[in-house]
Amino acid sequence: MWRIRLFDTLVQAATWAAGGLLLLTIVAVFYYLFTESHYAFQRHFPFGFRVALQPPDSEYRDEVSMDPTASLLATHREGTDELDDAEDITRLPAPEELMAMQSLVTATVQTSDPNQLRADALFRDCMRAPKRAEQGERFLLLAFALPNYAGDRMVLAWEPDVSFDPAYCPYALTLRLIRAPQGVQIDPIEIDLRRQPKGHIELPLWKARTQDEWLQGYLFELEARPTTSTTMATLQQFLRSDWAPTILYARFGMLPLLLATLLITLLSVALATPLGIAAAVYLSEQASPRIREWFKPILEILASIPTVVLGYFGVMLIAPALQRMFGEALQLSSGRGLLATALIMTVFILPTVISLSEDALRAVPNSLREGAEALGLTLAERVRLVLLPAAKSGLIAVALLATARVMGETMIVWILSGGTPTMPDFSSPVAALGTLVKPTRGIPDTIAIEMGNVEFESPHYGHLFLLGLVLFVLTLGINLLGFAYRKRAQVSL
Amino acid sequence: MMDTVRSGMARAGGWESLAAQRDARRARTNALLMGAFGAVGLATVLLVLALVAIITYHGAPTLSWEFLTQPPREGMSAGGVGPMIFGSVLLMLGAFLMATPLGVFGGVCLAEYGERSRLMRLMHASVAALAGTPPIVYGLFGLAIFVLKFHFGVSLLAGWCTLTLFCVPSIVLITESALKTVPAALTDGGLALGLSRWQTLWRIALPYALPGILTGVILSLGRAVGEATPVLFTASVYYSTAETTLSWETLRQPVANLPYYLAEGYRQPGVVPERLIWGACLTLILLTLLLNAGAILVRYRMRRRYL
Repeated sequence: MWRIRLFDTLVQAATWAAGGLLLLTIVAVFYYLFTESHYAFQRHFPFGFRVALQPPDSEYRDEVSMDPTASLLATHREGTDELDDAEDITRLPAPEELMAMQSLVTATVQTSDPNQLRADALFRDCMRAPKRAEQGERFLLLAFALPNYAGDRMVLAWEPDVSFDPAYCPYALTLRLIRAPQGVQIDPIEIDLRRQPKGHIELPLWKARTQDEWLQGYLFELEARPTTSTTMATLQQFLRSDWAPTILYARFGMLPLLLATLLITLLSVALATPLGIAAAVYLSEQASPRIREWFKPILEILASIPTVVLGYFGVMLIAPALQRMFGEALQLSSGRGLLATALIMTVFILPTVISLSEDALRAVPNSLREGAEALGLTLAERVRLVLLPAAKSGLIAVALLATARVMGETMIVWILSGGTPTMPDFSSPVAALGTLVKPTRGIPDTIAIEMGNVEFESPHYGHLFLLGLVLFVLTLGINLLGFAYRKRAQVSL
Repeated sequence: MMDTVRSGMARAGGWESLAAQRDARRARTNALLMGAFGAVGLATVLLVLALVAIITYHGAPTLSWEFLTQPPREGMSAGGVGPMIFGSVLLMLGAFLMATPLGVFGGVCLAEYGERSRLMRLMHASVAALAGTPPIVYGLFGLAIFVLKFHFGVSLLAGWCTLTLFCVPSIVLITESALKTVPAALTDGGLALGLSRWQTLWRIALPYALPGILTGVILSLGRAVGEATPVLFTASVYYSTAETTLSWETLRQPVANLPYYLAEGYRQPGVVPERLIWGACLTLILLTLLLNAGAILVRYRMRRRYL
């Protein structure tokens, strides 16, 4: 007797333990996806501008970054973290303090002859760590003409640093004249750099004759002031349309990735569901038991072909075919892209759809079939009028399951998408065709590609977890809906 | 002439001929539609055969005993995929040993207590949702918790844990639905004979459901062995010439595996020759086919035993 009781207790304990572990896992998956994404919110928002003092007829007026005398005022990951005591942002520094300041940059004009431009100004570039900008950051810019300058006017020109887009900066960026040289009459200057990221203003000529006089020149400040919290800014930027996490001025807009994933899913599910249901109807209503017995294992084999192999298939067969068709017209370097991915995705999901749809159709009670047959309906009519409506919930569940599977499938997209984040464009037929055949990139493959060379627990790492969270929430919703439909199918039959 | 006759017949109350025409049309539609449906089914079969044929055609010349057992040589441009096969099998075996008990008992838990409390209903829904959760999400989770939080590092151990998590939900669902197919007459009979609830489960219900459960377990392992994503950041290493030996140290080291080898093989074109990639494709397919064949065999043998 005690052995039976012990056995009972053991089995029961194992059952409870497994149940408890499952619950724990479920909670843990949620918890960790959320907690790891918090690293995304530790990101910084770097900014950078090129500024130069130029003669009025300078050939670099529209490309300040090409000007050899241009200075860079920037915060990004290559900037220093060092500060010094004199840098009190709230007050105007005395001229003798300026020399000691790390954030001082000079803009000088020496000659109007482009061949004689020299890039040897006192303090050229200033690059700061982006961290400080969250409390407000200020760069000081000293502008004056050198004694050998022969012109009678001078112009201050500025533009955003290469690859920096002020729209991606959650700071109010202001270029302000805080002190004019003695004896110069000039109106106050205050420029909103987010509204006018590129431009120039003319300044009355002011020459510094000696080194001491440099410090008396025009003193500008470039001030960055946060306009929203870091969290809000991170979320706002996450919903934008640029994904470029590794450039100096990193951008984490996931919209192109999300849209590509949704488009691939939509296309392949729209292809696979009707085809799959058609084949399932044939299997469950028409095929002889012998054929059915052969068919199921073949479907299982197709369903078990590893996705890496399917992806390679697409690379070897479908992508070259697409390139032959559209390559010349659209200048494609390869046929990898949205359409190739969606086609292989269809092959990937089709066997599952057929197999599950067949189960759903076979769950329809035979009395319905026989009744319809007794009414004299042909097979096609029975399918359309009786079978499909009766199996509707089950078939919807199948379509939803297929959607979730395709949405999260990684290797096929990794191999076949081409790897360039692109915003879909359907404004014209040509653009739409281009969207279909040109390289793109989805959410799962972005995670897979970039997690390999990301620094752990960095903002980029956090953003990859945010992407995973988006994918998880999407598939979770679809799966739960599918679960509800499956339950309904069981209840109603 | 014929036309006037026909329309005359129709006007003279020829509803029978109208009905005949309609029936002919219905029959045509029927034949057309059902033919199309059959064609789609046939096309799917042909697709499978073509896929397997093309891969066999390209991969078969590479396949040899040396290819299957030797490590890669000369910067991956020659040699075989021995360590990758070894790693894939190792990953799968570990996941099998960990996931099967957990999944089966989890399924028992759902089947025994399901539908009763709100907690269990919630659990059922979450397991169903987890079964459809993308493998990449499991990869992320495994990276966060096993590799970083538990300090397993990128290792076989972390790979096992992640793969286990990936397999368990589907095994749970399969066990649960297999247990539901056990006829009440059998379990009631057991209870009537004085067996306890858990003895009934262990001696009667589980053996009856075993073929279904085993098939499901093998199929989900087949999916796991071909899936690169869960082990991508948790256990994989691309370049491995290591001797395939087993020790406790192996647990803490990353392993090479076939899917990852293939994935990196395409990503860095020119490193691994196409010949080897086709060979590895065929090997991977053979591995999953072997598992599938096992599943089918189990199903047939078990079915015969119980009927």
